[in-house]
Amino acid sequence: MSRALLFYRLIVRPLFREPLRTALTVLAVALGVAVVLAIDLAGNAAAGSFRSSVETLMGDSDLEVTSTGGVPDAVVGTLATLPYSIRVRPRIQDFVTVVDSGQTVPLIGIDLIGEAADSQVVSVSNGDETLKNPGDLEGVWVGSSLRAKPGATIRLLMNDHTRDYRVRGVFDDTAEGGGVVVMDMAAAQRELGRVGRVDSVLLKVPDDPPLAEWQKRLGDALPAGIVTRAIGSRTSENQRMLAAFRWNLRVLSYIALLVGAFLIYNTVSVSVVRRRAEIGIVRALGASRGAVLAAFLGEAACFGIAGAVLGCALGRVLATGALKLLSATVQALYVSSRPGAIELTFTSLAAAMLIGIGMSIVAALSPASEAARVSPMEAMARGQREYTARMNKGRDMLIALGLAVGGVMCTVPHAIAGKPLFGYFSAILLIGASALAIPGIADYLLQAFSKLLQRIMGVEGLLASRSLIGSLRRTSVLVGALSTAVAMMTSVGSMVGSFRQTVTSWMDNQLQADLYLRPAGTVASDQHPTIPNALADTLARLPGVAGLDRFRAYDISYEGFPATLGAADFHAVQPFKKSAFLSGRSASDVYDDLQNHDAVVVSEPFANKHHLKRGDFITLPMGERQVRFHIVDVSYDYASEAGYIVMDRATLLRYLPDPDPSNLAIYIASGADLETVRAEVEKAIAGHDILIFSNRTLRSEAIQIFDRTFAITYALEVISIIVAVMGIAGALLALVVDRRREFGLLRFLGAATSQIRKLILVEAGLIGLLANLVGFTLGVALSFVLIYVINKQSFGWTIQFHWPTAVLAGSLLGVFISTILAGLYPAQIAVGLNPIEVVHEE
Amino acid sequence: MNSAPGSAPRKAASEIPSVVSLDNVVKEYRSEGLPVRAVDGVSLEIAAGSFVALVGRSGCGKSTLLNLAGAMDFPTSGEVRLDGVATTSLDDAGLTRMRREKVGFIFQSFQLLPTLSVVENVELPLLLAGKNNARVAAHERLAWVELESLGNRMPHQLSGGQMQRVAIARALVHDPKLLLADEPTGNLDSTTGDLILTLLRRIVTEQKTSMLMATHSTEAAALSDVLVKMRDGRVAEVIRR
Repeated sequence: MSRALLFYRLIVRPLFREPLRTALTVLAVALGVAVVLAIDLAGNAAAGSFRSSVETLMGDSDLEVTSTGGVPDAVVGTLATLPYSIRVRPRIQDFVTVVDSGQTVPLIGIDLIGEAADSQVVSVSNGDETLKNPGDLEGVWVGSSLRAKPGATIRLLMNDHTRDYRVRGVFDDTAEGGGVVVMDMAAAQRELGRVGRVDSVLLKVPDDPPLAEWQKRLGDALPAGIVTRAIGSRTSENQRMLAAFRWNLRVLSYIALLVGAFLIYNTVSVSVVRRRAEIGIVRALGASRGAVLAAFLGEAACFGIAGAVLGCALGRVLATGALKLLSATVQALYVSSRPGAIELTFTSLAAAMLIGIGMSIVAALSPASEAARVSPMEAMARGQREYTARMNKGRDMLIALGLAVGGVMCTVPHAIAGKPLFGYFSAILLIGASALAIPGIADYLLQAFSKLLQRIMGVEGLLASRSLIGSLRRTSVLVGALSTAVAMMTSVGSMVGSFRQTVTSWMDNQLQADLYLRPAGTVASDQHPTIPNALADTLARLPGVAGLDRFRAYDISYEGFPATLGAADFHAVQPFKKSAFLSGRSASDVYDDLQNHDAVVVSEPFANKHHLKRGDFITLPMGERQVRFHIVDVSYDYASEAGYIVMDRATLLRYLPDPDPSNLAIYIASGADLETVRAEVEKAIAGHDILIFSNRTLRSEAIQIFDRTFAITYALEVISIIVAVMGIAGALLALVVDRRREFGLLRFLGAATSQIRKLILVEAGLIGLLANLVGFTLGVALSFVLIYVINKQSFGWTIQFHWPTAVLAGSLLGVFISTILAGLYPAQIAVGLNPIEVVHEE
Repeated sequence: MNSAPGSAPRKAASEIPSVVSLDNVVKEYRSEGLPVRAVDGVSLEIAAGSFVALVGRSGCGKSTLLNLAGAMDFPTSGEVRLDGVATTSLDDAGLTRMRREKVGFIFQSFQLLPTLSVVENVELPLLLAGKNNARVAAHERLAWVELESLGNRMPHQLSGGQMQRVAIARALVHDPKLLLADEPTGNLDSTTGDLILTLLRRIVTEQKTSMLMATHSTEAAALSDVLVKMRDGRVAEVIRR
């Protein structure tokens, strides 16, 4: 009890004497914790929604039978007649857009008659009684969240057509996590143009023998191209695919926390320096070294607890915004998903609290240990601490050099379990090297340029530079915190800017067509609605059309990861298309290799994910067969992280005879007028819900998706900068309090209040400049690690380095101005000091 | 220089013009909500080239009087005229200008900036005033206090006496008319203190700079031309030599 009282009097109470500075430190921790929690909660919500409605709608199946291009009805018959006691449930699954609300929801086709006994759609539906009449299974059954009433009409867009459907019943869709539309199997097959095949078959097998044995038995009984896998495999695949994205985002979210750690270090360091005399007194009065250590760690824990509590509340708020950004990215780049609810669980709260408090205590360890090591006599000697910092500069520079070399060496090893762990370690070592080099760099630059500063800024320039050198340790920590944030801004900015430029250049090669067509509805990398091939034929015959590329895509699974299997009309587009390949071969050579062979081109992310290269072979399930394909080249591709396997359309049709394309690209004849051709195309597609994009519009849409994808990284960077600038403001406030006597003296010596204000602002500006300089240099190094190591090992994309000059210049200027603005309030405090009081106080 | 506690000043015996004149000056502070009168109706005139020592117990108002005389503070009532200009007629910028040009301060604890070298400390008032040739003037002043060779040292490399000599050089660098010294030997041993006092006396004699010094030291007081004894914010006695 008495110890708690002492702790309150000596540690906690002084914090309330500088409420603003205390609040800024707490807020810095809070923001760091909030960002980590928000990304975690939003990531869970976004990734948790992959469990498909097919699985949840009747959730007690064990196995799923699938095949590229669909499972033939005959296979369903085979399964139903096997001499085993297994329950067979065929499924159609796709997406439809509810036209009135614009909402895209899963469409499930089920055998309503066959499953009447256990389908909640049938048993819970509160619609009419027609279900009892097996002859009438038209219309749809909808989930309650779509708010449609039984008997009403609902307008749905599927593939290229929109139609009105009668709502036959409404069922509770809570278990599905959102709206679902259910049709009878036969109706769904007809509406989606999949007569004669289903998308999957769900199986419930007896408990004995084990599932693996059932998989084997069924595999033996079914054609080679039919895949039997455990239910939920796709969910796991999606989550595995998303793991790298979530992992990198999580790492990025820790940057704000790292910046916060610098600031806790600074706050406790300032506290130790200010209380050296107190430390001496309490040590002389009998306090042990352990007690001093505990006191300062306790101070850090106070910041940690307050910051973490506030951060948890703030994190929950930020999670909503983060989820929106994340869901858009997941939808555009990975897989159709419906964000789940954000669940603030005890575990996530406890983890956030632990991270906030733990980080604060770890950050305070060094200054607190230093306080504990001080002898009572030494505690009375002022300036010793700064002297120590000066004396260690050379040693620190050598260690920094060692860390930097280590950082470079860590860029060589490959990923471990798909994670670029050495890449992260390299980044940490480079950040450490930079932090240790800062005292030497700051000292050298401030010494070298103090005269120049005096010439430019007047005496305030001299005083500011000397003051920063005089408190080198504090200067270094502040520069370290801000430069880390600037480095992240620079590196992520360079990476995203380079990526953007690379994608733009890639699109210049890839998108050579004049018009692009796709069925209306939501865009997602795993949704491939189709256009009738007959319509494509009509378009190909239009005057002014020189070439038509019919691209067909299927969502498949390869070696435990989702991927897109595609086919293009290479012979039709050979004169136009300019795809780029890793081998450097010309597009026409590669297209020649693709035609009339079981040959494919795989995208770079796919090749990297599965360790494939040109000349290798891959085996793919195609209809009822397993087919071995020769990889004739690897293409640069930035459309999907899951990756593409692309073959010639003729090859695809040999195995999957469904001619309907997913997308069309129209090349107009030279001399033809684009607008005239477009008008003809629009006339031809009248009555179909098909979107037409000009080349420019498609590129612009792609870039918009790109920018939306990286919006969250920018948001995280901005928060890191805010945390750092808040830290600068807090530290400058502390600096004003600690140097009040100096400011008073300057007033005695004839300094005007404007000169005192200028002095603080110049110091703030110098911290900003140093942080920009160090941060930019570190950021360039980190951007190479990000682009050539972490990105490559996580996502498999080759990014050409480009300098996003305007963005970087604007950001660095923004940071510099923010730092100066952070000095305004402390400067005002300094100006308001009574020089007589502060000079005479002891 | 004349004084009369709580009364109007008497005219100086000589015709030497005064650098500072205080006319029935009162300075009140508020402490815990209650008014505290630190200086209570003091009238003083300090003639050019005179050495005035203020003596009295701690808290008798010596330092407050120095601050009023040095244009660091405004009186609550009464008038302080520095080189003929009433400080109450000036705004903050005006007071700053006045200090830059007319006043030099010497403190008990030297108050050198630890991050500046010796010569940089000395030239600081000139730099703050935006004057040219500050370095030349600083070296001249350092030579005057016999520390020219230590110009590039940092304050922590000096002894206490050397630090105070640097502080004196700094106070003189802009040729002030009035030098205000608050316990200038309070942190020094007696031998070093004597050297500093001799130096201060030399300043008054050779530079014709007026000196107002608050001190507890009888040795310091003995060097002065005029001794002003203060008690409870008032001038209790004035002894002219």
